[in-house]
Amino acid sequence: MFIVTVRDELSAHVLQTGIVPRGTRAFVFERIFEVFLVLGTLVGVVVIGYMLYNAYKYRVGSGRGSDLDVDRPVLGELPTGGGGGKKLFTSFLLSTVVVVSLVSWTYGTLLFVEEGPQAEDTMEVRVEGYQFGWRFVYPNGYAEDGTLRVPQNQSVRLVVTSDDVFHNFGIPELRVKTDAIPGTETETWFRAEETGNYSAQCYELCGSGHSFMRATVVVMEPEEYEAWYETTGGSNSTSNTTQERVSL
Amino acid sequence: MTDESPNDDRTESRDESDVRSDATDRRPDGGTAVESDGGTDVHSDGGTAVGTELTVPARKADYEDDSDHDFPGMGTIRRWFVTTNHKDVGILYIVTSLFFLVLGGVLAWLLRIQLWAPRTPTTTVLEPLAYNQAVSAHGLIMVFWFLSPFAFGFANYIVPLQIGAKDLAFPRLNALSYWLYLFSGILFGVSFFQGGTFAGGWTMYAPLNVPTFTPDVGASTAVLALTLFVASVTVSSVNFLTSMHKMRAEGLTLRRLPLFTWSILLTVWMMLFAFAALLAALIILSSDRLLGTTYFTLESPAGSMLWAHLFWFFGHPEVYIVFFPALGVMAEVFQTFTGRRIVGRKWFIAAMVLVALQSFVVWMHHMFLTTINLQIKTLFMITTIGISLPFDLMVFALIYTMLKGKIQFKTPFLFVFGALLLFIIGGITGVFLGAIVLDYEFRGTYWVVAHFHYVMVGGVTALVGGLYYWFPKITGRMYDEFLGKLHFAIYFVGFNLLYFPLFVAWETPRRVFDYAPALIPWHQLATIGAFVLGLSFTIMFYNLAKSAFSGEPVGDNPWEFATTAEWAVPSPPPLENFPGLPTYRDGSLAFRSERRAIEGGTATDGGSSEVRSDGGEQTDCLRDSSEVRSDGGVTASATATPTDHDHDDHHASHASIWPFVVGVGTFLLFVGLSGMQDAAFPEGMMGSVYVSLTVLGSVVTLGSLVAMALEPFTGPELVDGETWPFGDLEYGKVGMWIFLASDVVLFGGFIGAYVFTRVAFGWTAWEPIPSNPIPGLMNTYLLLTSSFTVVLALVAAEKKNKWGLVASLTTTFVLGVGFLVNKGIEWDHLFHEGLWLSSNIRASTFFLTTGLHAAHVIVGLIVTLYLIARAMRGAYLEDNSSVEYFGLYWHFVDIVWLFLFPLFYIL
Repeated sequence: MFIVTVRDELSAHVLQTGIVPRGTRAFVFERIFEVFLVLGTLVGVVVIGYMLYNAYKYRVGSGRGSDLDVDRPVLGELPTGGGGGKKLFTSFLLSTVVVVSLVSWTYGTLLFVEEGPQAEDTMEVRVEGYQFGWRFVYPNGYAEDGTLRVPQNQSVRLVVTSDDVFHNFGIPELRVKTDAIPGTETETWFRAEETGNYSAQCYELCGSGHSFMRATVVVMEPEEYEAWYETTGGSNSTSNTTQERVSL
Repeated sequence: MTDESPNDDRTESRDESDVRSDATDRRPDGGTAVESDGGTDVHSDGGTAVGTELTVPARKADYEDDSDHDFPGMGTIRRWFVTTNHKDVGILYIVTSLFFLVLGGVLAWLLRIQLWAPRTPTTTVLEPLAYNQAVSAHGLIMVFWFLSPFAFGFANYIVPLQIGAKDLAFPRLNALSYWLYLFSGILFGVSFFQGGTFAGGWTMYAPLNVPTFTPDVGASTAVLALTLFVASVTVSSVNFLTSMHKMRAEGLTLRRLPLFTWSILLTVWMMLFAFAALLAALIILSSDRLLGTTYFTLESPAGSMLWAHLFWFFGHPEVYIVFFPALGVMAEVFQTFTGRRIVGRKWFIAAMVLVALQSFVVWMHHMFLTTINLQIKTLFMITTIGISLPFDLMVFALIYTMLKGKIQFKTPFLFVFGALLLFIIGGITGVFLGAIVLDYEFRGTYWVVAHFHYVMVGGVTALVGGLYYWFPKITGRMYDEFLGKLHFAIYFVGFNLLYFPLFVAWETPRRVFDYAPALIPWHQLATIGAFVLGLSFTIMFYNLAKSAFSGEPVGDNPWEFATTAEWAVPSPPPLENFPGLPTYRDGSLAFRSERRAIEGGTATDGGSSEVRSDGGEQTDCLRDSSEVRSDGGVTASATATPTDHDHDDHHASHASIWPFVVGVGTFLLFVGLSGMQDAAFPEGMMGSVYVSLTVLGSVVTLGSLVAMALEPFTGPELVDGETWPFGDLEYGKVGMWIFLASDVVLFGGFIGAYVFTRVAFGWTAWEPIPSNPIPGLMNTYLLLTSSFTVVLALVAAEKKNKWGLVASLTTTFVLGVGFLVNKGIEWDHLFHEGLWLSSNIRASTFFLTTGLHAAHVIVGLIVTLYLIARAMRGAYLEDNSSVEYFGLYWHFVDIVWLFLFPLFYIL
């Protein structure tokens, strides 16, 4: 529990600073991915450029190596190092700082993602994978295969499991993904800001139909969604469905 | 720089001064070579040199007559079936692994053809299930049957040379490893023809891996093939570890090992433990598939997660297992072709050690989207980032090694340089995956595919460099440099054309052949790249095949700045590797006439010095390092005349057919077993075929093992050298201890699987299967007593009491049989209560885990029978080591039972 407290403290601090991306999962992903891409490319270009430059500079044809008074390795010697430790450590420390700070920075977002949306304004849908399709079970017990309907601008909590083999449920455009494991449930969440049709897909090899194990995610205007949900004829009154979830 | 001397017959140039000037003239740089560094001048200490020193590099004339009378020549077919020599086995490994590269590559082409365009179910080139098979087989073949064996071809060939050993500690086991590897690969090939091979991906996630979802016989065969492969790896690991710890030349402490050997040492340690975990996973999976246990089935309380944990506990170290040898090759080739010693050598080694240790605590980063909680995710994120940092250091060390170098862009260096570049890209894109928020989205996409291909095939790139690097050593001839460079150019373009677009097209889900139309151009580029990359190998095959027979002959050392010992002996090295006993006692490599070393016994302590009989002639050039680094190894001096001491004492016999026969036997056995399902063979003709193959295979395997045990075979004798940390233990004992260490992990995997499953099931709700613990208790006493009688047997052997030995061993046997009979009765009762392997998960864990233990007992009893039979004829009174090693094994089996009994009968 101590860890949890520290974590909450930490996340509260980190989140308030504003450096850490928050928002929909698509937003935080794009933001972090962008930074990684830019920095990664930069580091790659510098390191590889330096490497190529030196390879060229010290090529045997340049004669540069021969001018230097360097003790060259000889056959049969016991292996030893070639010095240059200081330079090595400086670069090592530098790379450590880059990697560690970069990943620590994303940790704040991880906490945000893991914490998920506030329960009050969340709806929950159960997702069941099977060979080869997806079934979506709504709080009122209504189940539909192949199509998930959710209202726009509302956080949706998915409870995902599988009827048979190991699947993985992902909606790439909304940057949400989680394993669908038989006999156990995983949770994840997302929030769609734009209405429209998205596609969900299986991300773990699951058999002959894996390539086509898809579902459609329809993000609807909230009113439209309410209207639709009413027609599903569940036991609950639709208007307070989302409220119901609080108790769960 | 190739050797331009038309030699190969260096014995002709006997005139010392002549040759010396010759060698000096032909040193290409003509530069700073002549002064020797002071530390190596051994003879300054007033003639206390030990033994008779021979020249470095070695000359053919220094070798004793190396024609082994029983040993067929390289040109004969028989040679390759009976050889146990590490160099032959190395060549076999390399050639075989390249065959599997082609096979895996063709499968990759099929995948890339399928991915040329998004496919609907009706427009596929490969049927969906065939595509899944190709995906799975491509991964399995490349990772298991190509990458590691390719690296271990070099390890086999080079490591004994680098550590100064004549061979590995157990030459026949080395041959056995190879044959098991080959036959496991053939077995995998057979699986394609048994209704289809395994189609669940190389990660084989549960429960897709059980017959309910992958019912083909071929799928079982693939799992069995992998199991056989792991058996090969285990045998090989024990062998390498014993050799590398026990057989290093004097002065070659662990710290001073060449980096390639270091990388292999760490690889093998990782293999020993990681593959034992995989073996546990595979035995359980085989049992689920063949015997009908229910560990991974849908009904199992946590089957999917159990598999994921077991597999990735192996799977992540495996990443480093396949990459480390490449790293070692990179380090060696960088040093040789830049003419620089590696920067920060000890930190490089420390980094590798750190990675090797840490590799066992990062596995859950493959499972970030499963049910593991935030705390564990955080922990594994930290270890994952932690394990990436040592690689930064290694990359920088390699880059800085180039500074002030005289870099020669020959083919090996080009490949290794390219590999480093690719590895940098692979490493940077790997950091993306270390950030969990990004990993969530990259999971199951081509980002992962592109990343690990940059790393793994980057490693292959380095190993290809290694192939060019050591090719002249192995064949004695130089490859064609132009074709080599051409190969590199096409390879490198093909590589990036193939894998870089996959980063761009990363949104494609893995193992899916329908993707967004916008990504078509990228996938088509990749497919073109796949063909460019694959076809570039035809240049290599042509080049190497041609050069092996008609290339320019090379001397000992075709590379200007090579330092390691394999370059100080002829190319290819003679059967016994060195002209004398290699030693680094004086700070650099020297060969000491073996007769002296052996007679002197304690050559280590210089005190037993012998005055060099003919030393005067040698001193001139002997230790002059400048000579040593010369090119063709043409340095010559008068030599210690090899005296004709007892030939047979020092010549290990090299021929044994039995490892091959064991391979055939296990192959037949496993093909037979593959037909089994739910502990029964199918009806009909195929059923009879499977049954007969099983019986035949068992008989051949057992018979050939016995024959191998009875065959007179002299392995390498103990020599004075560096043996840390095993001191003066014999090879056999060290090997047994190392094997038992892996067996601990095997049982650890089983017990872990039991505990994991039981926790998921509900610890307290889980009743032990035997309602009556008394038979188990009796068995505990039986085993404890039998351990005691083994001790008595050893005591009797030490006292040279033949009948005491026989009687104690017989008692052990009887007690062991008693254990099995008692267990049989217990199982029979349970069976009649309606409990059997597949009844429920509790029964599955009980029968399988105690069954594995019973199998250990049975193996022990077979060995006991063998020991009794030999003891009756008076064996083991002089040398009781076999009894002692058996004792170690037997005590271990006993100790395991002490864990199993409470876990399965009481708790």
